[in-house]
Amino acid sequence: MRRSEPRWPGVGDTPALLRARKLVKVYRADGVEVEALRGVDLELAIGEFVAIMGPSGSGKSTLLHVLGGLAPATSGEIWLRGQRVDGLSTAGWAILRRRHIGFVFQFFNLLSNMTVADNVELPALLAGANPRQARRRREELLAELGIADKAGAAPARLSGGEQQRVALARALANEPSLLLADEPTGNLDSSNTRDVLRLLRRVHAGGQAILMVTHDARVASLADRVINLFDGMVADDAAIVPIPRGLNGVRDVLELRG
Amino acid sequence: MRGTLRWARADLRACRSQALLTIGVVAGVVAALVLATMLLQGAVNPWQQLFARTHGADALIYFQNGTDTSSLTNVPGVRQAGQPYQAASATLEQGPVQSPVELRGMTPVPPTMSTPLIVAGTWLRSSAPDGAVLEASFAAAVHVGVGARILVDGIDGTSVSMQVIGIADTADQGFYPQWTPGLIWVQHGLLAKVEPHQSETEEVVGLRLYDASAVATGQVVQAIWNFYNGPDENSAVLRYSTWQQVQDSMASNDRLLGLLLGLFGVIALVAAPCAIANVTAGRVLMQRQDIAMLKALGFTPGQVVGMLLAEQTVLGAAGAGLGLVAARFMTSSVFVRPPDGTPVGLAPLSGSWVALIGGGTVLTVAIATIIPAWLAGRVSPVAAVQPSPPRGHLSLIARLGLLVHLPPALVLGARDSLTRRLPAALTVVGLAIPMAMITIALTCWATIDGFTRHPGRIGLAAAITVSPGGGLDALKTLNLISHDGQVLSYYPGAEFDTLLPGDNGTFIARAMGSSSRPYPFQAVQGQMFSAANEAVAGQGFLTQMHIGVGAWISPTIDGIPVILHIVGRTIEPDNNGDVLDFGLDALREAGGAGPQLMYALVLKPGVAPAAARATLLHASHNELDVQVVANPADGLGVVKVVIAVAVVVLGVMALANLLTAAAVGLRDHLHEVGVLKALGLTPRQVTATLVVNTTILTAIGVASGMVAGLLIAPRLINMQGRTSGIGSGIAASLSPVTVIEILAAALAIAVAAALFLARRTTRISDSAHLRSPARPSQLRPHASSLRNPQ
Amino acid sequence: MRQPLLALLAKEPAHGYELKLALEQTFGQAYPSPNIGQIYVTLKRLEQDGLVCSQDVEQTTRPNKRVYELTSAGREALRAWVEEPSDGPRIRDEFFIKLILAPMAGLADRIALMNAQRRHYLSLMRKLTDLQADADRADAPARLLIEGAVLHLQADLDWLERCQEELV
Repeated sequence: MRRSEPRWPGVGDTPALLRARKLVKVYRADGVEVEALRGVDLELAIGEFVAIMGPSGSGKSTLLHVLGGLAPATSGEIWLRGQRVDGLSTAGWAILRRRHIGFVFQFFNLLSNMTVADNVELPALLAGANPRQARRRREELLAELGIADKAGAAPARLSGGEQQRVALARALANEPSLLLADEPTGNLDSSNTRDVLRLLRRVHAGGQAILMVTHDARVASLADRVINLFDGMVADDAAIVPIPRGLNGVRDVLELRG
Repeated sequence: MRGTLRWARADLRACRSQALLTIGVVAGVVAALVLATMLLQGAVNPWQQLFARTHGADALIYFQNGTDTSSLTNVPGVRQAGQPYQAASATLEQGPVQSPVELRGMTPVPPTMSTPLIVAGTWLRSSAPDGAVLEASFAAAVHVGVGARILVDGIDGTSVSMQVIGIADTADQGFYPQWTPGLIWVQHGLLAKVEPHQSETEEVVGLRLYDASAVATGQVVQAIWNFYNGPDENSAVLRYSTWQQVQDSMASNDRLLGLLLGLFGVIALVAAPCAIANVTAGRVLMQRQDIAMLKALGFTPGQVVGMLLAEQTVLGAAGAGLGLVAARFMTSSVFVRPPDGTPVGLAPLSGSWVALIGGGTVLTVAIATIIPAWLAGRVSPVAAVQPSPPRGHLSLIARLGLLVHLPPALVLGARDSLTRRLPAALTVVGLAIPMAMITIALTCWATIDGFTRHPGRIGLAAAITVSPGGGLDALKTLNLISHDGQVLSYYPGAEFDTLLPGDNGTFIARAMGSSSRPYPFQAVQGQMFSAANEAVAGQGFLTQMHIGVGAWISPTIDGIPVILHIVGRTIEPDNNGDVLDFGLDALREAGGAGPQLMYALVLKPGVAPAAARATLLHASHNELDVQVVANPADGLGVVKVVIAVAVVVLGVMALANLLTAAAVGLRDHLHEVGVLKALGLTPRQVTATLVVNTTILTAIGVASGMVAGLLIAPRLINMQGRTSGIGSGIAASLSPVTVIEILAAALAIAVAAALFLARRTTRISDSAHLRSPARPSQLRPHASSLRNPQ
Repeated sequence: MRQPLLALLAKEPAHGYELKLALEQTFGQAYPSPNIGQIYVTLKRLEQDGLVCSQDVEQTTRPNKRVYELTSAGREALRAWVEEPSDGPRIRDEFFIKLILAPMAGLADRIALMNAQRRHYLSLMRKLTDLQADADRADAPARLLIEGAVLHLQADLDWLERCQEELV
């Protein structure tokens, strides 16, 4: 269903890449009904990086799954690139994910029986690129993420951080409009987390729109905006106001500690 | 499209052993089906293949010597006329036994039409002028093999010694002794020795016709007859035979054989899809995680289904191809052809059969994949991110078990084996079906073996029959028999071909022993006859006459009307059960003169019939006609071969299902390994848990399959017996020892397979499992997981 | 300032300017740039407390410099300081008071308070991550200092989440 205006409707001047209104998700577990989302409104502009935080059980992951079409919403509207997508069939969502959405999860990101190279090339092949194009894109991405030497390895042989980097490469293979990430650093130690942080920063600087669920404040601090989810509803939605840098650089930290 | 290809390729490469398993199972099934069909064809209708392979003649015409046969091709309907061969009548002398023989003069170059198919030895050689090639069924009937020397007498008594240098099959005539005379090919010189008078020989010409239908053949033969026969009595055409006559003669009368072979065909058709479905479903179950990830990536459900279907179909096609090739190789070996036991080579199947079997199997693979593939298509992509916890809780029983200090491995292993319903059902069914069929097959084997070992049960208590002949009269014969140390008892008897009421055919009326001392038939229904007017009958007879046990009949036997009361039913392998047995006194009371008697000899246990026969022949100076009684087991040898092949194939299927079950079960427990170790279970206990889990399911599957088989098999076999006329009651049961042995073997293999796979699993470091939900499709330990710094 | 000076003097006697250089070299970016005047004042106070003693050293071309040395009492005080475990972190009691009392006084809504505090923390975190990105690889003390602040801040945010769960 296309709108009459050529630009997507959004807040103010910025066209909204992703828009959700009154999202409700109820699922049944062991005969009990659980309201995971109770009317969530959300907007994401092109190139914006939004982090979703909140206590466990607040519905963060569910929100991401619903926005990515992995699970159907019980009610509410979802608009992606100006088109209403919440009513899409499973196949329709699959095709949408192929072209416009990249996913990075906490675990299980990679297909275990394919090499790293195959894993990264698969989305491109799926979207219709020819093998040569897919290979070129893969070489580009792996080089940029610093793991070009692991192209022929099996995922099992990589460390957690390397696997997440490959997952990131795989998610970005088709230059998606939207990158959805669910606790991508949740399973990593601090040094690996720093590596992934650096990559996210670079990717965001390149203009990629990112919607990420995280409990790690370092990761959230990279975002333009942070949404705080509590008990299935949005409790807070505000941009991060950067504090102006003092002249003393690191010495400020000592002062900050007070 | 490219995406699916890439994934399929990687998947096949990664799970090579499973792919090979699928290919192996399909290849086995296809090879077995091809073999079974070939055997069935060869057994039930041998003429067809023989005719094709030997370029047989549609008709054979025998002319008087000297007839000009060159104008045969001018007769309307005749496409091709073969070269005329010289033929002479003779007799094969073997002591008292004389067999009628037709000698046919050939050259060392085999003919192009009606080429004899050599099955042993060689064709005529110029280096062996006294060499003879015997027709296969004739050679078996007279017990002559390659290398033997035989004596052939001409009409005027000239005795010529020949050396058998070869045995061959031909489609020119039916099997000896149903079709006489027996056929021997010799070189012209040798024929001239036996029959020096040219005028006594005949000319044989083979014909190929344009239209080989029965009507057309008859017309052509009639035309030839008219052409060559003048108005006077001196006809040039002496006799003829057509392919229809040969085919009818060769067709097997043995219905039981056909039915048993058909049974195995059905077994293959049922077992095959089950085995294939099991292996496929197991594979899909193991790929669940990856499938969920693929859907998260953007594969539509339709693509997932199509991918799995395509993958399995390719594997199925590869397996079918492999199976067809394997079957080709196997046809070069030698099988037994009923009813004479001559070894022959089997003709390869026609293209249409091959296409049907190959294509049908691939189709089965595709269909068997559909349901698992459809289920895979429905896997939610969220499964990619949320590891499904093992369903089921520690039940009361399990808690009790732990309380009484049962080995924790046993309790934990048992607890979970039944909570996952779909994989459990898959395992049990996948093992039960092959085991049931193996049981049925082995029961068939036991039944056929029973024929050989307990011939008394099927009415063949007497191993040899003796007919007085030559210069011996009945008295001398009796004397010889009663003084033979190898004979336990003897029974006088006579057989008559009797017309059924309404002239619908004949049955055999057999008078054996007397009602006071009857031949030891065993009545499986009712009781044995004990009075002069009582009789027992075979199932075939009862079915033909539409009567049951207890009926009264009045046949005319040997011209004497007799009234008989059928008091029982026996198992009757002769004449498809179309036999009526009663005592000799029944005939005498009805006023008949004593018929020519023969004697049925029951040998002492442990005495070989061939040895007893040789002794009697020697004692009577080859004057007696001593014959070994044919046992239906001889003709069922091909069924034994089929059983062996079937058991092997079914065993492979069961093993494949077992391996799949073990792999699926282990996959589910992979993430528990680390937890179990942390709980304090030693690695050995962890392995034991995994093994117990798999073994319980396989034990249930194997046991239920065997029980089902033991229940079904006798019913099935008796049904075949009843339908074929031999009679229900032939089914032998497997001995309890055998059953236990099979169960134990199956369980041992199950434990070994589970142990082998479980060992590899527990060697994976625990930290890898505790740090993150396991990667379920990996069963290989990887050292690099230790590299991850923590 | 007292303890670092005592520790440096434990290594070898030095005069004021040498101590300033040493501080700068050891801590690099992490330590606020030491003021030479502040150093002399601290040294004087230490001498008054008897923890250091000084000596004038003759120099040929320059005016005399005062070399300071650790006394045994100073060494003892240093040892006591090193061995005693330092105080752990304390909850930001100011915010805690606000959170508990302000709504009672009708001065503010709890959720709004927590949101405001959280936004502030996130801004701080942004600053820290920027610092971390720009930090010199070789400057281990600086990096460690930033990382310490990050972890503390993460703990504060987690605690805030807990407050949200319990009080709302």
